[in-house]
Amino acid sequence: MTANADHAPAARGPQARRILLGLWIGYGLLPTVLVLMYVGFGLVEPRFHTVENAVNILRQASYITILATAQMFVLLTRGFDLSVSTVISMISIATALIMTSMIGEDQSSIALAIAVSILFALAIGAATGAVNGVCVSFLGVNPFVVTLGMEGIALGFATTLSDGFPVSGLPGALNMAFDRSLWLGVPAPLAVCLIVLAATYFVLNHTVFGRTLYLIGGNPRAAFVAGRASRFHNALAYVVCSTIVAIVTVLLIARTGSGEPNLGGGLMLESIAAAVIGGVSLRGGEGRVIHCVFGGLFVTILSIGMNLVRVDSYIQQIILGVVVVAAVYLDQFRNRKLRQ
Amino acid sequence: MGNRTAPVRSLEAGTVEREMNRALISSAPRRAAEILLSQGVLPILLVGLFVAFGLYEERFWKAANLFNVLRNASYLMIISAGQMMVLIIGGFDLSVGAVAALTSVTAAMTMAGLYASMPEAIAVVTLIGVLAGLAAGTAIGVLNGVTVAVLRVNPFMVTLGAMSIAYGIAFYTTTGVPVYGMPEEFTRGFGRARWIGLPVTIFLTVGILVAIWWLLNWTKYGRYVYAIGSNQHAARVSGVPLVRCIIATYTACAFLAAVTGILLTARVGSGEANLARTITLECIAAALIGGVSLRGGVGKVQLVALGALFLSMVTNGMNLVRIDSKLQTIVIGVVLILAVGLDRLKLSAART
Repeated sequence: MTANADHAPAARGPQARRILLGLWIGYGLLPTVLVLMYVGFGLVEPRFHTVENAVNILRQASYITILATAQMFVLLTRGFDLSVSTVISMISIATALIMTSMIGEDQSSIALAIAVSILFALAIGAATGAVNGVCVSFLGVNPFVVTLGMEGIALGFATTLSDGFPVSGLPGALNMAFDRSLWLGVPAPLAVCLIVLAATYFVLNHTVFGRTLYLIGGNPRAAFVAGRASRFHNALAYVVCSTIVAIVTVLLIARTGSGEPNLGGGLMLESIAAAVIGGVSLRGGEGRVIHCVFGGLFVTILSIGMNLVRVDSYIQQIILGVVVVAAVYLDQFRNRKLRQ
Repeated sequence: MGNRTAPVRSLEAGTVEREMNRALISSAPRRAAEILLSQGVLPILLVGLFVAFGLYEERFWKAANLFNVLRNASYLMIISAGQMMVLIIGGFDLSVGAVAALTSVTAAMTMAGLYASMPEAIAVVTLIGVLAGLAAGTAIGVLNGVTVAVLRVNPFMVTLGAMSIAYGIAFYTTTGVPVYGMPEEFTRGFGRARWIGLPVTIFLTVGILVAIWWLLNWTKYGRYVYAIGSNQHAARVSGVPLVRCIIATYTACAFLAAVTGILLTARVGSGEANLARTITLECIAAALIGGVSLRGGVGKVQLVALGALFLSMVTNGMNLVRIDSKLQTIVIGVVLILAVGLDRLKLSAART
């Protein structure tokens, strides 16, 4: 240390850079960027720094964070799910149709109708995921093709079932229960998000299924040789992914009060973006719950902030595209540094 | 089985010859199956579908309808050929639909703007409009290529981002409203004109397909593309100019998507940000049905053209027998998964 003291002024630059680089490689750049963005938007628009807005951000971020978690299950196995957005549309239409037809003129059984149609939503999600999973891991078809095909199939179902029109007339109780109510003082969507995150954390870290996913992503041959039923677990990842997507769909129709053939919109891009920006690797085997939280918060703060400073929604789309590419680039750069 | 027959083959030459002759004679059906496997089932499927649709619905065989199928197929063929080049090099392009939309919007706005100020110089206006559209579309391709080749970002994410960007620009400049006011001559000359009884688009498509076939099979660049796709590392070590080739390929793909955008704009008669929303899915489907591998290094332009023809025939047939257009996306999705699934089965059958 003392020997280096006289070189300090010259060495400080590179050394500081190395420390920063080290921190970044360890934790990622994202937490810093998040804080900077939060402060920055607040300086431009003082309304950004209110308690209501903070709650609003967390509430908004819940949906995309849950979706990123769903996507992460599949990303861990070196796959991805392109069908997320149209599957959301399909489930929203199906659920809304079941709910409205069950309620009909009989207003007494609303709670039952809601419960049954949510179960149906989850079942449809699981079934969709099962089709994806079987095609990918038992028939060996590339996940890209399978989920792209499923995107078309789900879109077809969504528009055919609904004839292209929203299915409205959902009971107010649904909106009350899953959107406006507080669960133990926490807004419902946020509470659901926390439950999903906790469950995901447990599954990924403390079950055979979770550990196998990391193994499949890290080295598929090793997973096969190690004797884990890797095909089954791989397929199960798709089932879990689509089931979580169904949960988000229930939250979304509770918010909008109707099932819509275009409810999913750009959520597929956003879910992959959030997961990858957060630090889930596209090459599999790398990703934690906290990554999804960071990624979800980032995408949400970016979009709310841009809304507050009145950026046109189409321009926002352009910016999101740039940010996604930049995030993946930084992630790969980080990986290369990690390997050195 | 394989293990037990191996020693027999290692006997002296005469026995081996007899063995082989017997195998040849006794397994004619098997050989037929082998030929089938090597060529793919696509040509047979096409003929079967052609006959079946015609028997079910007479109007399918009418000349007017067949022209229609061919014309719709030609748009898809051009864009699928571009997609195929990117797939062969081991990449991916999700942005082609957005590129076509951006091209359409740019060309239409340029033409409409110039036409209003100088209505007599129609040829110049059309030319500038088309060039502007092609330039805008191709620029996205250059961007894709540079990001993939130089920054080495995953092509899937790059083109997904590019898709978002191109659609964003197209919708922002038009606010989603169709752009009218192009010269009549452009729509009549390009979109609806006929030469010797055939739509002009078909001649253009054949020209483009032949050019790509020549490019891939008879030029250094073409050989490089296959080399990079089958083994990028080996290609790099043997001195293939990797970066230049990848950029050129993404650029070519976007250029072809832009050409499709121009042709569709001429056909529709307006510039639309919503143009051909499903064409990305369709062109990847056409390429994969045509036997292009997602792992790179494999693909023939003539088979991809057949794949596009197949998809267009399915769509046209479904229209004729009045299957709802919304249901058709389901059918295309199923066909896509089935085609690639069968391809996988074919591969594993060939290996055993």
